[in-house]
Amino acid sequence: MRFPARPVVATAAILSTLALAACSTGTEADEADGALVLYSGRSEDLVQPLIDQFEAASGIDVEVRYAGTTELAALLQEEGDATPADVFFSQDAGALGAVARAGLLAELPEGVTSAVEPGLTSTDGTWVGVTGRARVFVVDSQQVGVDEAPSTIHDLTDPSWAGQVGIAPTNASFQSFVTALRVLEGEDAAQRWLEDMIANDVQLYSNNTAILEAAQAGEIQVGLINHYYWYRLEAELGAEGMRAQLVFPAAGDPGSIVNVTGAGILAGAQDDPDALAFVEYLVSEDGQQYFVDATYEYPLVPGIAAPEGLPAVAELTNPDLDLSDLDTLAETTALLAEVGLL
Amino acid sequence: MSELQVRKVVAAYDSTPVLHGVSFTVASGTLAAVLGPSGSGKSTLLRVIAGLHRPLEGAIVSDGRVLSGPRVDVAPQHRRIGLVPQDAALFPHLDVRANVAFGLPRQERGGARADEMLALVGLSELADRMPGELSGGQRHRVALARALAPQPDMVLLDEPFSALDASLRGEVRAQVRQVLRRTRTTALLVTHDQDEALSMADQVVVLADGRLEQDGSPADLYERPRSAWLARFVGGAVTLRGTWRAGTVECALGTVPAELGIGQTASDGTTVEIVVRPEHLVLGDVAEAASRPAPGGRVRAMVRHVQYFGHDAVVWLDLPGLEEPVQARVLAGTRVWPDTEVSVGLQRPALAFAVPDSARG
Amino acid sequence: MRGSPTIGGREGSAPSRRVGLAGLAAEPRIAPRPPWGRLILAGSAVAAAALAAIPLVYLVVRVAGAESGAVADALLRARTAELAINTVGLVLAVAAGCLVLGVGTAWLLARTDLQARRLWIVLAALPLAIPSYVAAFGWVSLTPLRGFWGAFVVLTLCNAPMVTLPTLAALRQADLAQEDVARTLGRSRSRAFLEATWPQVRPAALAGVLLTALYVLSDFGAVALMRFEAFTWAIHAAYTSSFDPTLAAVMAVVLAVMGVALVAAERTMRGRQARFGSMVAARPASAPVRLGRWRMPALAALLAVAGVSLGVPLGSLLRYLGRGSGEGIAVAPLDVAADALTTVGLALAGALVALLLALPIGILAARWPSRLAAGAESASYVGLALPGIVVGLSLVYFSLQAVPALYQSVWILAFAYGVLFLPKAVGAVRASIERVEPGLEDVARTLGEGVAGTWARVTARIAWPGIGAGVLLVALTAMKELPATLLLRPTSTDTLATSLWRLTDISAYAAAAPYALVLTVVAAVPALLLTRDAVTGSTRAEGLQ
Repeated sequence: MRFPARPVVATAAILSTLALAACSTGTEADEADGALVLYSGRSEDLVQPLIDQFEAASGIDVEVRYAGTTELAALLQEEGDATPADVFFSQDAGALGAVARAGLLAELPEGVTSAVEPGLTSTDGTWVGVTGRARVFVVDSQQVGVDEAPSTIHDLTDPSWAGQVGIAPTNASFQSFVTALRVLEGEDAAQRWLEDMIANDVQLYSNNTAILEAAQAGEIQVGLINHYYWYRLEAELGAEGMRAQLVFPAAGDPGSIVNVTGAGILAGAQDDPDALAFVEYLVSEDGQQYFVDATYEYPLVPGIAAPEGLPAVAELTNPDLDLSDLDTLAETTALLAEVGLL
Repeated sequence: MSELQVRKVVAAYDSTPVLHGVSFTVASGTLAAVLGPSGSGKSTLLRVIAGLHRPLEGAIVSDGRVLSGPRVDVAPQHRRIGLVPQDAALFPHLDVRANVAFGLPRQERGGARADEMLALVGLSELADRMPGELSGGQRHRVALARALAPQPDMVLLDEPFSALDASLRGEVRAQVRQVLRRTRTTALLVTHDQDEALSMADQVVVLADGRLEQDGSPADLYERPRSAWLARFVGGAVTLRGTWRAGTVECALGTVPAELGIGQTASDGTTVEIVVRPEHLVLGDVAEAASRPAPGGRVRAMVRHVQYFGHDAVVWLDLPGLEEPVQARVLAGTRVWPDTEVSVGLQRPALAFAVPDSARG
Repeated sequence: MRGSPTIGGREGSAPSRRVGLAGLAAEPRIAPRPPWGRLILAGSAVAAAALAAIPLVYLVVRVAGAESGAVADALLRARTAELAINTVGLVLAVAAGCLVLGVGTAWLLARTDLQARRLWIVLAALPLAIPSYVAAFGWVSLTPLRGFWGAFVVLTLCNAPMVTLPTLAALRQADLAQEDVARTLGRSRSRAFLEATWPQVRPAALAGVLLTALYVLSDFGAVALMRFEAFTWAIHAAYTSSFDPTLAAVMAVVLAVMGVALVAAERTMRGRQARFGSMVAARPASAPVRLGRWRMPALAALLAVAGVSLGVPLGSLLRYLGRGSGEGIAVAPLDVAADALTTVGLALAGALVALLLALPIGILAARWPSRLAAGAESASYVGLALPGIVVGLSLVYFSLQAVPALYQSVWILAFAYGVLFLPKAVGAVRASIERVEPGLEDVARTLGEGVAGTWARVTARIAWPGIGAGVLLVALTAMKELPATLLLRPTSTDTLATSLWRLTDISAYAAAAPYALVLTVVAAVPALLLTRDAVTGSTRAEGLQ
């Protein structure tokens, strides 16, 4: 057989060069405009409409790089001062804390950080909380009756749940929960709980979605997830399509914590008014209302109502827990690695 | 076409010496064969001439133009020397016509030259075939046409017929010889087949262990080999030890007339090696031999067995005093039976060589 | 050459006998010509290998920068051993599975009187087009298969074509007369195959197995979805909980070491690569094996493999597509098309980078095998053993250090594809050039072509189908790549794979399904092109017999 050698190579070369040139000129042009560069660990489909709103309202161009929150945190650490990013919008407080500790975040003006309820934002003013997300149990309603559902994470080490509980140890929200457990009950108790869970044949998933899908499919009876995943699936399938149901842990249980998403300005963009304008917009009334309506998350600015059907955020927040203590994630990952979950 | 001079060429592969100073000249328009056993360096010599292997010393000169020398190394593509490799090596991705046109200047590749060359080798009708669709003989003729198409100063043929079966070989050889004659191309044929060398070449150069053993016409080589080894290598020969005594040698054949080989000396009473071509032995009746003296004397021998070839036969004889049988080639019709006694004589003087020098081989 | 010096006079034909090396002192010795071409080639190969080794260098920098205690802790903990055992077990199982499945399929398709062979060849190649994470998703959503066996099934089915296709091509070129001889010497059909034919196809099959094994080492998508705790799972966990780059780097080094061990093992088992003559003498086509009463079982087996490897992933995609997006995210066909174009452009660019890097290494390894060539070739394989996120982060580090202007540009991403999938191109270049008889190049030189012209008119032309197949394979794999793409793509550039990730990340499977389907269809094009070789026979000469 005879391949038409040169035409194929030439065509490939021309095509790919054109495609690359098209892509790269676009990027360069945008950078020349001085568009705001946002690293978003939050999904495009949830955040982009809000960004469109912001662009329309402010006239500022925003260029967004979407990836996993913790991948972006690793990326920011690798990039250091060379980062093109102006703002980091994170899915959890832990990643923001890690980036802040690396000295990569600028301090926010007092006016921004004070807009949010204290305890749901950073203590040193390097980042601001944007929304809250409650840790909940998801149960397979066909296998688990309302009265049989667990009320505390300590129920889950009972042999009756052997092999029936799903967790996502690599998920940042789960790790925040483990951090809370360490802070509230001590290192030994946290380690013992994790080891008991492993002994009880806990099932490992890669993320909340997978756990929810597993509960929905009856693969597991209980899973530890964030509340809004359920609402989103319900929006897609309708209420009658939901085999998985949410159960909120008892107040004061370490399983009942509120994680926050948040945003920080990178050190290099300290004096960029556009960056500040974007972060301010996130904690403005418009921004907060968007999250309530579109993502079913808790607003963190006082005076904005939570999504319907959710317990008040105050009921869930643990009075003994200071969110700023949740940034000791390195110890948590070390613990998870030690017991063998990472 | 042009004359080729090979001057004192020394070559090595990875510091293993292969050629130890080889010199000869091929006259314009003639075909020279380089004959040697495998490992004699003949393929290396060919690669040196083609410019595919760089010699350590020596020179290659084509019609006064230095191709290889102390300060000169003309790249193969500028030497104007064509090559017909052992396996023909047709380009598998090109059809026959494109193969032949490969070496032509770009603007001439579409022209008539390729077809002329194919006509010359008698393969016009196969111009559009792919190499994989040709027989072995056809491939070699295409390879020859391809080598000749750019009108090179000379053509090198590297054992071009060894891959062909015997019935095809003679025919293709004749065709190739004819084409080379017609185009008056200087050619160098590398082969280990003495029949091929003797039958095709105007000149035969014998190589052994990277050294030139003899350079001369086929008849020269056969009739006046420079060593017993050469005599055995070219044409096959019976070698016997004997004592030299002024133009005769006393040996297992009795006292036979002998000549000293070129450059050989021997004094009376010294031991020499004589070379006898099998067809120079004559066999006769034992009774007859006693009554009629034959040239070179007659001895008796037992016939061990007979190989019959139709036009002639080879008779294996046990001579008194020899462990190994000797061969005699006799014409068809000579009546010889195994396990009978015959008389053996010699038609022509044998060639004698001093022993120490000719103990090789 | 008119002006070249001449030597006057004729020396005549007097032969100079027994002239030793010493006897030629009068003739000045010819100075050895420095082999510039080969030096440049070796230099380029070393440079290409160095570029391919960037991820490894990065890991060494990371590990060296860490406290020794932390490295030792990370290495010595029981968890590392457990993960290593898991990964090794999976690699061995998948390699064995692919070998059996691939060689079996290839044998059925090359040597038996099966009907509709072309169709079967296409069906056997198509799983290449399905990203392992899409396949794993299909299996997770349609079957209860999980864990080791889940990962084993998905990775085996996805990678089997990597063994089937080269084995099929090699079987077609194999000298079957040897098998016939073995049978006349009293071997059963299967023993004759093992003793006579298998050694001839082994290099091709093992090369495919090596690529498969390296892929399994580095795969994350399938093991994550199957919840099988392999090394990559743990590396991702360490990176994405971000704050322990040392742990991640140490584990990645362990993976790289496993990769090197695999390459070494393949090298030992490969034996000497047989060089096929350019002109396989015309031989009668060996009669195909008559399947007889085995026809139905053979057909059933092929159908079952095709059914599960294509049916399960595509079935689940179609199910989600049929379910509709409800009030979820609407998918604009234009967005999918734009992503598809980006994907194709990037994949082709990556394939060209891989080709450029692979050419010097492959040519050197094929024409001048040496320690240097072997080293360069081995270095090029490391990228494939490392998970995409490691390669991605290493190139973040490298491009910021070396070419900050190109950071987060398509060029770096294309370069990353080139590095990641270099082995596929190197193997193709080496094998294709090895098969070009050097004698052909000699002839071209004597016909007046220079080195470059000979390469262009002979070597490259003959080797091109094989090299082109390697380029296609790189493009095909690059289309499916996700983790490095996520890190290195230009901000606000999407490929089909990143869009797929974005939508599945928020469980919008119905919206993700069109992207997955288009990705599979786009990737099917190179996959189908790859079968052209196998369908039409690999040389014109053979095809026309």
